[in-house]
Amino acid sequence: MTSTVDIHSMTRRFGRSTAIDDISLTVAGGSICGLLGRNGAGKTTIMSIIAGQDRPTSGSVEVFGERPFENESILSKISFVRDNQRYPDNYRLHHVLRIAPDFAPEWSDDVAGELADEFRIPTQTPIKKFSRGQLSSVAIVLGLASRAPVTLFDEPYLGLDVTARVRFHDTLLRDYAIHPRTVLLSTHLIEESEALFDRVVIVDRGRIRVDSDSEHTGQLAFTLSGPSDAIDRLSAKRTILHSRSVSGLKSVTIQGLADADTSAEAVRLGARIAPATLPELVAAFGADTPETRDIKKGAVA
Amino acid sequence: MSAVISTIKLHLNQRRVTFIAPLSIAGTVAIISVLISLVFWRAGSQPGSAGWIQGSQSNPGIVYALVGFLIYAGVASVATTFPFALTLGATRRAFIAGTLLWDAITAAYIAIIFAVLNVIELATHHWGVGFYIFDIYVLGAGNTPRLLLIVFLGVLSALTIGGVFAAAWVRFGIRGPQVIAVGVIFVLGIAAIAIVPDAAAIIAAFQLWWLAIAAGVVIMVSSIGMWLLVRRAIVR
Repeated sequence: MTSTVDIHSMTRRFGRSTAIDDISLTVAGGSICGLLGRNGAGKTTIMSIIAGQDRPTSGSVEVFGERPFENESILSKISFVRDNQRYPDNYRLHHVLRIAPDFAPEWSDDVAGELADEFRIPTQTPIKKFSRGQLSSVAIVLGLASRAPVTLFDEPYLGLDVTARVRFHDTLLRDYAIHPRTVLLSTHLIEESEALFDRVVIVDRGRIRVDSDSEHTGQLAFTLSGPSDAIDRLSAKRTILHSRSVSGLKSVTIQGLADADTSAEAVRLGARIAPATLPELVAAFGADTPETRDIKKGAVA
Repeated sequence: MSAVISTIKLHLNQRRVTFIAPLSIAGTVAIISVLISLVFWRAGSQPGSAGWIQGSQSNPGIVYALVGFLIYAGVASVATTFPFALTLGATRRAFIAGTLLWDAITAAYIAIIFAVLNVIELATHHWGVGFYIFDIYVLGAGNTPRLLLIVFLGVLSALTIGGVFAAAWVRFGIRGPQVIAVGVIFVLGIAAIAIVPDAAAIIAAFQLWWLAIAAGVVIMVSSIGMWLLVRRAIVR
């Protein structure tokens, strides 16, 4: 697959604060990439720069081989609705649905109408009075109906009820199959979204900590839980990503793949061993553990 | 479709703001002006008398009422529309060009409506009863070409002034408009200090076209300011 988004040594500073710290990332065309991490990790900033709404302090970003900032032809291929999106005063849903097709060459009225109905988005209420979930619904309509070759979803689930979330997944997968595109999706509802991703990027403190095919994320780390002394023994000389202790019991997330010897030893010591789930991996890389090292694309730790 | 055209359509998307609100404000002020005239009529003033005409033509209420709305519309055209325009995929360049064209369209629309109503007002001898709504000194005292120019430049000035303040807010947050306001006060203060000794001579020599030049300068400075402020603005 050829890459659609190429980020090279990109840094973004806001005054003295470094939001993005020298990251490089490529996103292949026709893929759904999960951009995961804690609040303030830098996910929205990355998306904002890809969408030409911001510029890197240093480094470069290219979408379809061109820099997106002030590039009309590239921007017409990108859809990005931020989680705190502002709309013009007194805008209602019909204002959004009427103007969006002028900017999105691939816009689908059918998808927009279907989603607006399914999400039960109010038609007469000004958007500024919408609930958090209703605002997310409008953002999803804009993102999916645009059929933009590069579609960026920034926390699309905020405030959405479970029915709407399922509907979003179904419509995304159905429309994606007919009209393949590159999707970058940031979310904290990792378990619900995990099945969508064919690529996972975990960001923390402005740096990319994990960049992996989704099928390999289970090999990036494993968890051990059980009596503290057994866990300490099993985790000695290993890179601990995350650790929790409760009255003589301990649970750790360890970077790397558990080998057969470790598994056998864990069973012998009465400890439970399992591959780290994606939420555990994200939580672990977001934990304040200084010894973690980054896992780059395709790598198996 | 060109993003400039799309941006104009984005501004025109709320047709009520562009086409209806200015007329409803003007209509409301016109009704209030008529009511005030009726009060004076009942108090003994005679329609058509020199005092009546002088008093009616000196009432600039319609201008004051519209200026507030137009500055708000100018602010809204940038402050809340800019983030959404970027979300839709407009470039900053296209956004500013489209916004300035929308400003001009709105100014031309209001100027033409006012000119037509002024012609009707004159043709009907001030609505048949001596009411002066558009035939007022501040709008050219019945001179329709002059009214067209005054309203067009006035509306464009108000919209672009609102736009440049909003652009400063988009770029620098609350400090942006504050710095512009302080800068404008400073420049006006320096200008006042410089011209006060010659004020009497300047007033005596005053020509109406000076205001047109001043409006042109305001529009140009505000438009350039909008572009300079927005071209590097980001959305956060």
